[in-house]
Amino acid sequence: MVRPRHRLTQVMALAAKEWLLLLRNPHGLGVLFLMPGLFVLVMSFTLKNTLVVRVDLPITGWVLEDKSPVAAHWAQEWQARTGALQFASRDELHRALKSHRVEAGVIVRAPWIDSEGRPRVDQLEMWLGNRVQPAAAARLRSELVASTLQLQLKMAAAEAGSFASVMLSEAFSSSAPASDAAPSIRYLYEIESGRAMTAVQQSVPAWLIFGMFFVVIPIAGVLIQERNDGTLTRLATFGVSPGAVLAGKLAAFIALNWVQLIFMLLIGRWLVPLLGGDALHLDIAPGWFLTMVVATSAAAVGLALLIAAWTRTFDHAAALGGGLNVILAAIAGVMVPRMLMPPTLQRISEWSPMGWALDGMQSVFLGDPEAAFILPRAGLLLAFAAVCLLLSWPPIRRHQHAR
Amino acid sequence: MTDDDALPLIGAEGLVYNYPGQSQPALDGVDVRLGRGQAVGLLGPNGSGKSTLINLLIGLRTPQGGRVTRTGDHAPVVAWVPQEYAFYPELTCRENLRLFARMLCMPPDETNRRVQDALERCMLHEFADRRARHCSGGVRRRLNLGIALLQKPDVLLLDEPTAGVDPQSRAFLLEHVRELVHAGTAVLYATHYMEEVSAVCSRILLLDHGRVLANGGLATLLAGPEGGTPYPNLEALFVHYTRRSLRD
Repeated sequence: MVRPRHRLTQVMALAAKEWLLLLRNPHGLGVLFLMPGLFVLVMSFTLKNTLVVRVDLPITGWVLEDKSPVAAHWAQEWQARTGALQFASRDELHRALKSHRVEAGVIVRAPWIDSEGRPRVDQLEMWLGNRVQPAAAARLRSELVASTLQLQLKMAAAEAGSFASVMLSEAFSSSAPASDAAPSIRYLYEIESGRAMTAVQQSVPAWLIFGMFFVVIPIAGVLIQERNDGTLTRLATFGVSPGAVLAGKLAAFIALNWVQLIFMLLIGRWLVPLLGGDALHLDIAPGWFLTMVVATSAAAVGLALLIAAWTRTFDHAAALGGGLNVILAAIAGVMVPRMLMPPTLQRISEWSPMGWALDGMQSVFLGDPEAAFILPRAGLLLAFAAVCLLLSWPPIRRHQHAR
Repeated sequence: MTDDDALPLIGAEGLVYNYPGQSQPALDGVDVRLGRGQAVGLLGPNGSGKSTLINLLIGLRTPQGGRVTRTGDHAPVVAWVPQEYAFYPELTCRENLRLFARMLCMPPDETNRRVQDALERCMLHEFADRRARHCSGGVRRRLNLGIALLQKPDVLLLDEPTAGVDPQSRAFLLEHVRELVHAGTAVLYATHYMEEVSAVCSRILLLDHGRVLANGGLATLLAGPEGGTPYPNLEALFVHYTRRSLRD
C-alpha cells in the first residue's frame, strides 16, 4: 500500500515529467501558446469594427445612368459630403472596384424619377467590393434609403406650398441623413459594468479558453506513447496507480493552463495596444476569475484525458481532439461572437463546455460577475471534468495491466 | 545445492489464464519456481504464453486458476525488463532513471545513489545526458535494464532483453545478467535466442499453447529421454517439442 505522502511524491514527479516533455515539444508549445496568442492578435483587430456601434461608410464610386438634373444634384451632394468618386459607366466602376480605388459602388438606374416625379429607391443599385464589412454596407444602404426618402419628402413639401417647404428645409439642411445625431446604443454589459466592450476584451477570454482546451495535443502525445511503449505498464510495476498517472497529468496541465493565462493576459494588456488596438482591462474580480479558471482548466484537461485514453494513435487523438475543439469553439461563440449568431445557435451554444466557460469568463472580464451567473457554469464545468475523468479511468487502468 | 533445492522466491502453481473472447486459454496449468541465484530460460514460439506468464508473475494480471506465491524474509522485489523500450525517449538517460527512481519514494540521497549505481552498472555514464531517442539500440537496451535495476530486485523478469542490439551490447547484457544471478538474483529470461539461454540459464521452461512442454535442468533436458538420443543443442530440443509448423 503506497502511503499518501509517497503518492504525492509520485504525482509531483510525474507532473514535472510532463512539463519537461512539453518543453521539448515545440509543436505542443506552438499549439498551446503561439496559436491562441496569434488568434487574440488577429481577432482583436478583426472584430474591432464589429463591436463598435458605428462604422465608417465605404469609399464609394457613383454611376449616373439617369441623366435628370435631380439625380445629378443628389449625387453631387453625396460626393461632396463623403468624398465619393463619379464614373462614366459600369465598366469603369467595375475596374475601380477591382483595383480597390473604391470599396463600393452606387448606380442610379434610369428612370430614377417615377411618373409622379419622385426618386425611386428600387432604381438604386449597390455594388460592394469583396472586403466591405457587412456593417459598413448596411450603413451605406440605410443612408441611401434615408436620403432618397428625404428627397421625396422635400418634393412633396414643395408641391404642398412654400410654408411646408421652409419647415422641411429647416429640419433637413441637406439630403444627407442626420446620422451623427443618431440614438446612442449601449449593450447590457456596458450598462452594468460602465465599460464598453472591446474586441480585445472579447477575444482574450475566448481564445484563452480555446488554447486551454488544446492541451489535448500534448496530453494525447505523451499518454499514447506511454501506452504503446509499455511505459504505463512499467510505471504500474513501480507501484504507480492509474489514479497517480491521471493526477500527475491533471496537475501538470492545470498548472500549464495558468501559464497560458498569464501569456494571454500579457498579449491583451501590452501587445495589442502596442500594435494600435485597445488594451485589456484587468480590473476584474479575482475570486470569480479564479473560480472560472479552475473550472475551465479542469474541464479542458478532463476532456483531453478522455480523448487521449480512448484513442489508439496520436494521429487519431490529434484529429479527434483538434476537430472537436474547433467545433466546440464554433458552437460556443469563441470564433464568432455569440451576438453575430442566429437565435437558435445562440441557445445551442449555452449547452457546450466552452460555452459555459466563455459565458463565465466574459462575465468576469466584462466587469459584472454575479454568483447566480458564475456558479452554475463553474459547477457544470467541474461536473463535466469529473465525468471525463471517470470515463478515462477504465482504459488507463486496462492499459496499465494489459501487456 | 542443486537448482531444485534453491529457496524459491517466487513460484506459481497451476496457473490458468483466459483472455476475454479467446476459446483457448493463454496459460493452462503452468507451474514455475524461481529460487535465489537461479536463472530459468523461458522458451516458446510466438503466442505460446510467455508474456502472459510474466504478467501474472509480476502481478499485472490476476490468474483465473492457480496461484502465484512470493516467499522469503521479506516480500521479494520483482522487477521487469519489457521487450519494448519502456521509457521516455525525449528524456535523457539520467532523467529517465531519476523519474523511475522517484516512483520508488525513497529519500533523495538513496534516489541519487541508485541512479548513479544504475548508470555505472549499465555503462551509461557516457550517455547519461543524451536524450534516449538519440541513443543507439544497445544503449537503450541497457537503459531498459538499468531502470529495472533501480528497484534492486530479488527477482528479475526479462522479456527478450537483447532484441535488436549489436553483438557487443548483447555480450554486455548477458554478462551482466550472469553477474546478477551470481549475486543471488532470481532470473526468468524469455527469449527466442537459444544461445542466450544456454549462456545464462541452468534451467528451462518450454511453453506452447499455454502448456508446459518441458521443465527442468538444461543439461538433463539436453540429454534426452532415458535410453534415447541426446539433443545436439537447445534449438533441436525446441523444434522437437514445438514442431516445425509456422505460428502466428
